[in-house]
Amino acid sequence: MNVDLCVGCGACAEKCPGKFDDTYNAGLIKRTAIYVEYPQAVPLKYGINPDVCLKLTKDKCGNCQDVCPANAIDYTQTEETITINAGSIIFSPGFTAFNPSKFDNYNYAGFPNVVTSMEFERILSATGPTMGHVTTFPGLPLKPKKKKDKLLAEKRKDPKKIAWFQCVGSRDINKCDNPYCSSVCCMYAVKEAIIAKEHAGGDLDCSIFYMDMRTPGKDFEKYYQNAKEKHGINFIRSKVHSVTQNPDTNDLDIRYVDEMGQIIDDTYDMIVLSVGLEISEETKDLAQKLGIDLTPGGFCKTGSFEPVTSSRDGIFVSGVFNNPKDIPESVLDASAAASAAGDALSRARDTLTLELEKAKEINVAGERPRIGAFICDCGSNIKGVVDCEAVTQYARTLPYVEFADEAMYACSQDAQNKMVEYIKEKKLNRIVVAACTPKTHEPLFQETLSNAGLNKYLFEMTNIRNHNSWVHKNNPDIATQKAKDLVRMAVAKAALAEPLKEEKIDVNDSVVVIGGGLAGMASAKSLATQGYKTHIIEKKEKLGGEAHKLYKTAQGEDVQTHLDELIKEIEQNENITVHCNTSLESVDGFVGNFKSTLKTNGKELDLEYGVAVLATGAKAFVPDEYEYGKDDRIITSLDLDKMFKENDAGLDAINSAVFIQCVGSRQPDRPYCSRVCCTHSIDNAIELKERKPDMDVFIIYRDIRTYGEKELLYKKARELGVIFFRYDVDQKPEVSIKNDKLLIELIDHVLNQPIQIEADLLTLATAIVPRKDEKLANFFKVPLNDEGFFVEKHAKLGPAEFATDGVFLAGSGHYPKPVNEAITQGRASASRALTLLAKKDNLFTSGVVASADPLKCSECGVCVSICPYSAPGFMTDGRFEGKARVNAVLCKGCGLCVASCRSGALHLRGFDTSQIFSQIFALGEVV
Amino acid sequence: MSNKLTGSVVVIGGGISGMLSALDLANSGYYVYLVEKGPSIGGVMAQLDKTFPTNDCAM
Amino acid sequence: MADNDIKIVSFLCNWCSYGAADLAGVSRLEYPADIRVIRIPCSGRMSPKFILSALREGADAVWVSG
Repeated sequence: MNVDLCVGCGACAEKCPGKFDDTYNAGLIKRTAIYVEYPQAVPLKYGINPDVCLKLTKDKCGNCQDVCPANAIDYTQTEETITINAGSIIFSPGFTAFNPSKFDNYNYAGFPNVVTSMEFERILSATGPTMGHVTTFPGLPLKPKKKKDKLLAEKRKDPKKIAWFQCVGSRDINKCDNPYCSSVCCMYAVKEAIIAKEHAGGDLDCSIFYMDMRTPGKDFEKYYQNAKEKHGINFIRSKVHSVTQNPDTNDLDIRYVDEMGQIIDDTYDMIVLSVGLEISEETKDLAQKLGIDLTPGGFCKTGSFEPVTSSRDGIFVSGVFNNPKDIPESVLDASAAASAAGDALSRARDTLTLELEKAKEINVAGERPRIGAFICDCGSNIKGVVDCEAVTQYARTLPYVEFADEAMYACSQDAQNKMVEYIKEKKLNRIVVAACTPKTHEPLFQETLSNAGLNKYLFEMTNIRNHNSWVHKNNPDIATQKAKDLVRMAVAKAALAEPLKEEKIDVNDSVVVIGGGLAGMASAKSLATQGYKTHIIEKKEKLGGEAHKLYKTAQGEDVQTHLDELIKEIEQNENITVHCNTSLESVDGFVGNFKSTLKTNGKELDLEYGVAVLATGAKAFVPDEYEYGKDDRIITSLDLDKMFKENDAGLDAINSAVFIQCVGSRQPDRPYCSRVCCTHSIDNAIELKERKPDMDVFIIYRDIRTYGEKELLYKKARELGVIFFRYDVDQKPEVSIKNDKLLIELIDHVLNQPIQIEADLLTLATAIVPRKDEKLANFFKVPLNDEGFFVEKHAKLGPAEFATDGVFLAGSGHYPKPVNEAITQGRASASRALTLLAKKDNLFTSGVVASADPLKCSECGVCVSICPYSAPGFMTDGRFEGKARVNAVLCKGCGLCVASCRSGALHLRGFDTSQIFSQIFALGEVV
Repeated sequence: MSNKLTGSVVVIGGGISGMLSALDLANSGYYVYLVEKGPSIGGVMAQLDKTFPTNDCAM
Repeated sequence: MADNDIKIVSFLCNWCSYGAADLAGVSRLEYPADIRVIRIPCSGRMSPKFILSALREGADAVWVSG
């Protein structure tokens, strides 16, 4: 394939006889040998699978070359070797889903209604093979041709009972060699069950069979509780022993032992195996070639204090390859790896990037509109249905249209070049393109306008492909009429288009990091390394934050040694100014132009800066239960760390130690999981056992949440003889002190009997609670959630920044997290901030922004109160004092204020009221 | 080690993580080569139907 | 507008519904050709005046989606 020529029309795939498994749809259906991964793929270019192409394997066929309108098919292409010279490498190869074929007790390979979670994901998808309809026998074609398939298809039904089996290919060393937790399966199973119920209606019965529910991410626990309470999904703590198939109905009979030890038989219509994440052999080979060390699970070995740095200099890692993780953590890894790779090359920054040349803009003010209309055939995609020639003819008859032309592919380079020529030759001052969607192609045409010296907002695009030829292919006459209507509407709007100005935003290139803990220091270090003056504001007397209280990381590194090193680096970095004992007194301004007053020991200091990173952290909850405070043998996790750090002599006298988990977490008043406590207690239990092997150590828990390779610590603790008891939130253990004995009583869930443990030390794994800093949140106009954690821009794709431009987020103020994740987020926030700082000289607002006419403004204030971005405000001085003014930097161009203005004082450039009316009126004209 | 640094980065893997690393670096002044084995970028996330917490389309 | 056919004026938010209409095309779904799309930057841009005006111009229905 010559990808430069391919226009993604799909004519080739329609004629291709070759077939192979459609991996995008998890192999549920077949795809043609010439294919595109999926309709929205980027780039939308077809490729040939040489293993199944008839031309390439048997020199027969050749259909695709015959039908391709763009001459893009080239069967002679061969593999090429390209050598690239680069400064750093980021290795993010991802994972493969575990293949459960070898689990003979679930018989995935044999039973058509046992599917993997990846297959189920495609079954739920509107773009999947069943178009989102949940049905049994999902692997059968919709209209089967083979006799065997036809017989099975007769039994096809909408399932009434679906079960999910967790930990298939995770936390398992019997049937596979994956001792780690895959971190993501509990959440996706809950999500799939909720969506299955949404698709199927209320009577679908969904059950999730699990060992521990692991929902330690931000807002995950609430989602899980909602699934139980609101959506009625059953959660059954059991590992299912076996699955058999009823030969007549293909229903699935399962047998399992419930929590009370009873053997239960049940029947389901469908079973979804929640398959884990694995690193493929191919990736491991490549890792070996790159010379980087792997963990026993096959993931990349990284340290807690440089969490995206591999064992080899200059190679950084991110995503699931750097330990199993969910999307938001992969996104944080991505930015963190960018920060680390950039830090290593900071001296060479801006040496290889290219600068685009800009044509001088022609002044069209006051000119009569001279519109050029370009009608695209898109090969046969539009022309095959719409009479493009007639539409072009018609366009020529419309008011202000000076010139109209038909193009085979308006987006192709030669058509673009011609457009520039026409603009110059015919002195066109407005352009209309009738083609595909502006969402993907508007920027391309706007660039062409700029190259021709026209303001890029003198442009209007209308969609006669996605909204017309593709959806009305059986009605060519009506589609042609509709195309004419759409062109007329676009021309009417374009005639009113004005050149819009993009305001330059000045960016002050210094940074303020609020909070001098691990996350804040990691952020500051990266920004300073890349050359930016950075101020750290710390309210305490020294840097380091909560990390001062920690003993070891989950990977066994000594926290204090690393922390001291990091503090020293920060203090010696000449780009960093540390302000300890300092509070933030005020914040004014917006992205690129913040102003604050700091107060250090009573002295005030004014600071101007361009971006801010909020890394204010969180703190340990002070328990209000389990007799805490009444006996010095009852301590918190951090107290125990202190004892380890100081090598407390009291540790030797302990013969029985108990840990109680979820103290203050996962309960109605604090409904989130604090993420770090399971690992922390297990770590400390191992430490106790290693110091004194004959000590009795008990951990009383609800679900053990050692996600990723932290699961190996859980395994180690059990091997060392740490005893685990589970409790329910409505049956918490009871702590009492009788005759100076510290007693813990609980109901054992296996024996269903009360148990009493006498302890010499009781450690409470306390929740991590947010600082709930409303003052700071108001300063930067950023939101806090119900619990008091900061709300990021996007739960998945924007975890290290706020919706407010120029304000970034890192550390436990976002959500509780261990050392490595805090540093990752610190680096990620730096990387995100850097993308803004790097635009120092060419950061512009959009031209599509609201503006206020002070002569019409009635000062009612509706726009000021309604705008979610605080863009409109009242002028505070001058002739129009009290009237509204819109700050173009903050405006997102949504038009909410414009619609709400009762005086007609507000205008949205590019989508002004007159322009929208012109489209409506154009539609109203009798054809 | 030579004193001359090359201001470019190779990102291997065009999944959600690789794509975002590439974007961050390119927007910070580094030249990026994004290398993907398959015919298009997007990775596994593009296969997901919807994502937590808003059950938004993963596309 | 011609008298004999139905016309629906649809105001689609650029970020969601307009994209959904694009995707309907990519997926080659078919629907009646009666709608005419006006792209708006956000459904918050909608004003009752647009709806009234579309109806006055002869639209049989107005569809706002965002």
